[in-house]
Amino acid sequence: MSAIEVENLHKTYKLGKVEVPVLRGVSLDIASGEWLAILGASGSGKSTLLHLMGGLDRPDAKSGGRIAYDGRALGDLSANDRNQFRRDHVGFVFQFYHLVPELTVLENTLLGAMIRLGRLGYLREAGKLRDSARELLGKAGLSHRLGHKPAQLSGGERQRVAIARALINDPPVLLADEPTGNLDQKTGAELLDVFETMRGKTERTIVMVTHDPKVAQRADRVVEMADGLIRQTTPGGSVGV
Amino acid sequence: MEYSRPVFQSLLTRRYLTSKVMPLLASAAVMLSVAMELITWSVMGGFLEQLIQSGRTLMGDVEIARPQRGFGDYEKLIEMLEADEWIEAATPTIDAYGLVKLNDTPQQLTTTCRIKGIDPESFNRVTGYFDTLYWKPIDTPMPRDKDREDPRLDPAKREMFETTQRLGQELFGYDVGAQSDRDQAVLGIEVFSKRGLRSEAGFVTDDWVFLPGKDVTLNVLPIDMSGGFLEPVARKLQIGNEFSSNIYEIDSQTIYVPLDELQQMLKMDRAEIVETGGPIEFIYDNAGNPIGRMLPEVVGVTPARVTSVLVRGVGDHIPLRDLQERVKEIYTRFESQSEHAPPVDALDVLTWQDRNATLIGAIKKETALVLFIFGIISLTSVFLVLAIFWSMISERTKDIGILRALGASGPGVAWLWVRYGLAIGVVGSILGGILAYIVITNINAIHDWMGATLGIMIWDPQVYYFARIPEDFNLTKALIIVAAGIVSCGLGALIPAWRAARMDPVKALRFE
Ligand SMILES: Nc1ncnc2c1ncn2[C@@H]1O[C@H](COP(=O)(O)OP(=O)(O)O)[C@@H](O)[C@H]1O
Ligand SMILES: [Mg+2]
Repeated sequence: MSAIEVENLHKTYKLGKVEVPVLRGVSLDIASGEWLAILGASGSGKSTLLHLMGGLDRPDAKSGGRIAYDGRALGDLSANDRNQFRRDHVGFVFQFYHLVPELTVLENTLLGAMIRLGRLGYLREAGKLRDSARELLGKAGLSHRLGHKPAQLSGGERQRVAIARALINDPPVLLADEPTGNLDQKTGAELLDVFETMRGKTERTIVMVTHDPKVAQRADRVVEMADGLIRQTTPGGSVGV
Repeated sequence: MEYSRPVFQSLLTRRYLTSKVMPLLASAAVMLSVAMELITWSVMGGFLEQLIQSGRTLMGDVEIARPQRGFGDYEKLIEMLEADEWIEAATPTIDAYGLVKLNDTPQQLTTTCRIKGIDPESFNRVTGYFDTLYWKPIDTPMPRDKDREDPRLDPAKREMFETTQRLGQELFGYDVGAQSDRDQAVLGIEVFSKRGLRSEAGFVTDDWVFLPGKDVTLNVLPIDMSGGFLEPVARKLQIGNEFSSNIYEIDSQTIYVPLDELQQMLKMDRAEIVETGGPIEFIYDNAGNPIGRMLPEVVGVTPARVTSVLVRGVGDHIPLRDLQERVKEIYTRFESQSEHAPPVDALDVLTWQDRNATLIGAIKKETALVLFIFGIISLTSVFLVLAIFWSMISERTKDIGILRALGASGPGVAWLWVRYGLAIGVVGSILGGILAYIVITNINAIHDWMGATLGIMIWDPQVYYFARIPEDFNLTKALIIVAAGIVSCGLGALIPAWRAARMDPVKALRFE
């Protein structure tokens, strides 16, 4: 459960001497427990925004704007605190699944917990964590796939593992970057069902980025992004297809 | 702190290790270099150890030496030395150079040699001399002598070898030719080179020239008290036995003879000093006929002299330097009580290792050099790990991005790679240690096999005196080398790990 404020966010990449402004003053208010879709064409800066929100990257040093979770500004955190913040607060889902190929489905799911808890903490709670990983994977329809390697799974299955992995630490915020971008329509729709299920009673805040209006429709609210700015806000389900 | 929370690191390390060929190759490289280092160190170290042990059996621990002129009253010195609690035994010896001629052979072989006068009983207590005697009955064959062809094993020759053994131990005994007892000499086994006479198993055959029982003629040049040469002296002795110390330099040049015999030859025995130059006085009988000459008046006695006293310390644990100091102290005390002893600075008090510093030093240097060369070769394994990790990290850029996105810190990711390097080091080094253990403990079998199937004999017992390659696997050395192997792998992983830690997580995630 977390309310997110994004204020006048600027991000500029430097390509040699050329400055490429990608975010040019993005402002967003996301309510706690809201499922927000950010709709935008490829290259409009959606991923960049998501990385900034997850504390993986920082806005421009000069008047780059502000991101705050429940009033706590990310910019004030040290590098270590940002790592910790990611561990405890945020789950990431990526377009290309990004599973570790050597690890099984169950191990991939548990990776976030291992990183969060460290050896002793993890070993102490290993049993409980395995149970919740199994439960998550069960909800994602993967109960019979626990020992498989990612290479043995279909794209949709892989992405469901990625969702389970993002949720193992039960983070208040889930950031999903084109989660259906690599899936066919039917599989994508099934995946969004999983999202719905996984949203759970905990009122998780979900920020989902997509270029597909149909996918965006599933969210509570949709904002459109173009040229590094939020252009338009519409309630979910009312975006023209 | 992520460093102490390596759970995801250990899981990934295990999986990375078992799922790629590269780390297996790296482990194999580490294994080979660790094994190579350890085998070299063990064999060379074992060789040096044997050499030092052989050295101790040659001159004990410490030698008090005054070459050529020697010193008297040594019996008193030995008494004082043996009274000391640190000293096990002491023995007088004389070292001289001379010529030795082998009689009774058509070739009349002659060679220069070091002649050493010894008192066999005390010499044995200091040096273990009896054990070096070669011609004696033995029960177990030499390791390579599978067909028991060594003549010393032959029951029919047992009695003969018991005789030669006794002759060697007493340096005195019955001579068949002269039909009487006489002094015996014991020759180093290589004095009249036996290289061609050794079997492949390393023993000496007794059929061609069996030296015991033959005569040798020794020629020495005595010198007088002022250092001038006197008339050369020749003496015939029977060869009672031969000895083998395992050091070629010694075995090819040394001849043992009884101490008193050599003292006489070198005019180092007890002598009376007489007043010369006075008028000759005759002794007359009752009838007034001269029946003899008055002996000149004895004005003093020069005691018998030796050129050195060898000392052996009690047990094995007294440091040589301390023993050397103790011997110096005792000598100083002795010198103040004896009128015939030169001051302590006029002679040398040296340890065996000092005396043979060049030989030991050479082997030590050789060992160090070989280790150094192999150390450099082992550096390759560091670079191998470095190169493999560099490419693996490029290959796994995505994984790093994921781990960072899941909240792992830069150092946490670095530790993953260092750990991985260490794991390769542990696997490779321990396997290397095991391989080295197997090779070292079977090195002679392996060597024999190489000789039999490939015709390669690196360690030829016809040339070397240790019939076997040392097989001592030293645990301390093993631990040092294995630890060094692990550390170098960790070092090899360090730079790539640092690179991984500094990698921008966003770039890693965008990496295609
Ligand atoms: N590291 C970078 N350096 C330079 N340009 C970048 C970098 N990362 C992204 N960009 C550019 O920023 C723009 C937005 O990228 P991105 O946020 O990935 O858009 P989206 O996710 O909406 O497709 C793109 O034009 C992309 O080329
Ligand atoms: Mg994108």
